[in-house]
Amino acid sequence: MGPVPRTLELFYDVLSPYSWLGFEVLCRYRNIWNINLQLRPSFIGGIMKDSGNKAPALIPRKGQYMANDIKLLRQHVQVPIQFPKDFFFVVLEKGSLSAMRFLTAVNLEHPEMLENVSRELWMRIWSRDEDITQPQSILAAAEKAGMSAEQAQGLLEKSSTSKVKNQLRETTEAACRYGAFGLPITVAHVDGQTHMIFGSDRMELLAYLLGEKWMGPVPPAVNARL
Amino acid sequence: MGPVPRTLELFYDVLSPYSWLGFEVLCRYRNIWNINLQLRPSFIGGIMKDSGNKAPALIPRKGQYMANDIKLLRQHVQVPIQFPKDFFFVVLEKGSLSAMRFLTAVNLEHPEMLENVSRELWMRIWSRAAEKAGMSAEQAQGLLEKSSTSKVKNQLRETTEAACRYGAFGLPITVAHVDGQTHMIFGSDRMELLAYLLGEKWMGPVPPAVNARL
Repeated sequence: MGPVPRTLELFYDVLSPYSWLGFEVLCRYRNIWNINLQLRPSFIGGIMKDSGNKAPALIPRKGQYMANDIKLLRQHVQVPIQFPKDFFFVVLEKGSLSAMRFLTAVNLEHPEMLENVSRELWMRIWSRDEDITQPQSILAAAEKAGMSAEQAQGLLEKSSTSKVKNQLRETTEAACRYGAFGLPITVAHVDGQTHMIFGSDRMELLAYLLGEKWMGPVPPAVNARL
Repeated sequence: MGPVPRTLELFYDVLSPYSWLGFEVLCRYRNIWNINLQLRPSFIGGIMKDSGNKAPALIPRKGQYMANDIKLLRQHVQVPIQFPKDFFFVVLEKGSLSAMRFLTAVNLEHPEMLENVSRELWMRIWSRAAEKAGMSAEQAQGLLEKSSTSKVKNQLRETTEAACRYGAFGLPITVAHVDGQTHMIFGSDRMELLAYLLGEKWMGPVPPAVNARL
């Protein structure tokens, strides 16, 4: 039996574009590196509040930078990411609480579906500029991910239970305890040490910490690890 | 004659640790990539004021993150960078105005010395291993005097304003002029993206030494 895979915890919120980029890169590497990728749906609003930080786009030049940055990263990382027309309304006003509660419910009941449903929610808000706050929006994403309407409806109902609300709160608090002031954060457990890495642009540093090879954000597809 | 080198302008302040890391990486690649690296000493205090941004370390968790990040990058990027013991005093109170005026004077009078003197200043603030930059005491004194002239103050102000016009909200920024387009890249952790824009190969922050471009 080979060496034990190293656990990487990815704390993310579908409201966060860089979370999507980090997510896709790590999903590509999960069959290349000796890692165990654990997805941790979190609530970026809670992290901002707890850390005293604010959304970067509130500084005009940072917002402008992000818009350009996302355009370039779309090509470089090969993810169909696009700024919503009304960024402030979508990101700063509507937010992501229901979506992240839904993903928390998915993770509790059908964790094998978490990756797909997360992706479909990102595709809605950060690719097709579609809503993710209304129940029918969330159900549409779940069904596109391969869930039956019944399953999706059941999870939507579970989303508003204390159990799910508390789980999202706990995951968000865990991110805060790791030192998060935003998302995404990747927490790598390597050789008895814990490293928290912020953002989607430190994956090469992560590879260095893991002693793995970095082959850029779009690594050549390799044989899945047996 | 080969293709025209692409101009990269690196706007930096020695107060900024990530400026040092970006600087060293670009200095390594200047003889590997087909680029013309132009160093632009700037004043980060002016950029923060003009953009409405604030030093990241004012958010406690960001300050904590930076401290850890710098420790890891020290090894990964192989630069002897270390948080000063009295970080808040050194970085947030003392600041860098005199140092950046001095570098502006160096750039006006002895641009060939700018790289070494910049590095020496970073070594003083951000490392324990300071060396001498190779300037004579006379030269240094002369430049120190020039630092407080209007000419130098204005030049620093202009360079800082240029960074602001490129959209800077902090430092370092690398402005790449490629195929008639201008790209502004913030930070020292986007060099792989820069390579992609230049159509060059990224070999990590410590590329194997190659024959200097003839």
